[in-house]
Amino acid sequence: MNDNKLKAKDFITVGIFTALLFVVEFACGMLGFIHPYIVASYVVMIPLVGSIPMMLFYTKIEKFGMITIMSVLLAIIMFVTGMGWLGAPLIIAAGVIADLIAKKSNYKSMKAIALSHGVFCLWVCANYFPVIVTSESYRKSLIDGGYSMEYCDNLFRAINSKTIIFLLILCFVFGVIGAYVGKSVVKKHFEKAGIV
Amino acid sequence: MMKISLDPRTKLFMIFAVSFIVMVNAVTPFEWGIRIAVTLIPILLMITEGKYASAFRFSLLYAAALILLKFFISSESTGFISAFLVGYCGIVAQFMPAMITAWYVIRTTKIGEFMSAMQKMHVPDGISISLAVVMRFFPTIKEEYGSICDAMKMRGISFGGGKVTKMIEYRMIPLLFSCVSIGEELSAAAVTRGLGAPVKRSSPYELRMKAADIITIAVFTVFTGLFITVKYIR
Repeated sequence: MNDNKLKAKDFITVGIFTALLFVVEFACGMLGFIHPYIVASYVVMIPLVGSIPMMLFYTKIEKFGMITIMSVLLAIIMFVTGMGWLGAPLIIAAGVIADLIAKKSNYKSMKAIALSHGVFCLWVCANYFPVIVTSESYRKSLIDGGYSMEYCDNLFRAINSKTIIFLLILCFVFGVIGAYVGKSVVKKHFEKAGIV
Repeated sequence: MMKISLDPRTKLFMIFAVSFIVMVNAVTPFEWGIRIAVTLIPILLMITEGKYASAFRFSLLYAAALILLKFFISSESTGFISAFLVGYCGIVAQFMPAMITAWYVIRTTKIGEFMSAMQKMHVPDGISISLAVVMRFFPTIKEEYGSICDAMKMRGISFGGGKVTKMIEYRMIPLLFSCVSIGEELSAAAVTRGLGAPVKRSSPYELRMKAADIITIAVFTVFTGLFITVKYIR
């Protein structure tokens, strides 16, 4: 296909998979309120679980721009659901870079897809940004807002400016691992059934 | 009761205002007052649209969370149960206003209206179509998920044999299957209606800012302004 413009069909695909990814994120997010360490473990959970719809999404990508649009949508949704705007540039940047990486191999090579998924998963970390950048006031507001001291201490032990690098790397690594896991699931269920 | 139908652009403004106010933590009673006020407006709007049941449910849940948070939980409370309770009350009190507003907007905006508003605001087609699909899709996902759970119950599968991976797999795969096929139907329907054609689309919905829109926008602007003043400038 030489036609590089995105069509309505592609936009609809993007919309559907964004909705699915958000549902995954939301389901994992609900668990985070049990214990702050779970908040930190989003970087493992969301890439792994989210990789299944993402890998199916990657099989449908043929043109540049779909991952970028997805990241813009995610940024909008994150803003609307109250995660703040601090992470939005990071989300969109991750989306664009992921898109570029995958484009190099024309959205076909598994290696590039895995790498691109790893980069894309960095959007999960964007949600930690308010915690780090405004850690002092955020902490105060959490305590004033009714969270227990214990929760806050744990939260800030798990997420601070030192651990964020580690979290980012972890996020990327599990994004790549998740890509292979997701791919095998997609293969098992969808390619055999002839959906893809 | 009289039906107030707002312009989609007003609704978008409402979402942004509410999520801004919700995002910044409220500390003083006055700030909480503003927060509660902006939560009440969508609930009232919901009642005017005749969605009594959900308005009632939302307000009950929100009130319960607020009362629990106010009277029974302090920063000294520790332990698992209270952490759990704090967590859930926190999430409800924090995100409920935004969720109520979003729910109201999604339920009362027709996709046609939404698209027409987006076109008027010169949002690129890619963003507006995808966003419209996302909006439309949440109820669908919920419905499909419900049917999957029913089907699993009928066959006596409840937790996938206790394995986490199986639990995810059993729910996720059928959901993906149905979503993909719905998506294909959706794009076929969209193409039939001329979406993606290289011409400017016309819409049966005439969008005009009415008095109700202007009042709503004014109210939210005032609330947001007040909130910022109290929080940062004072």
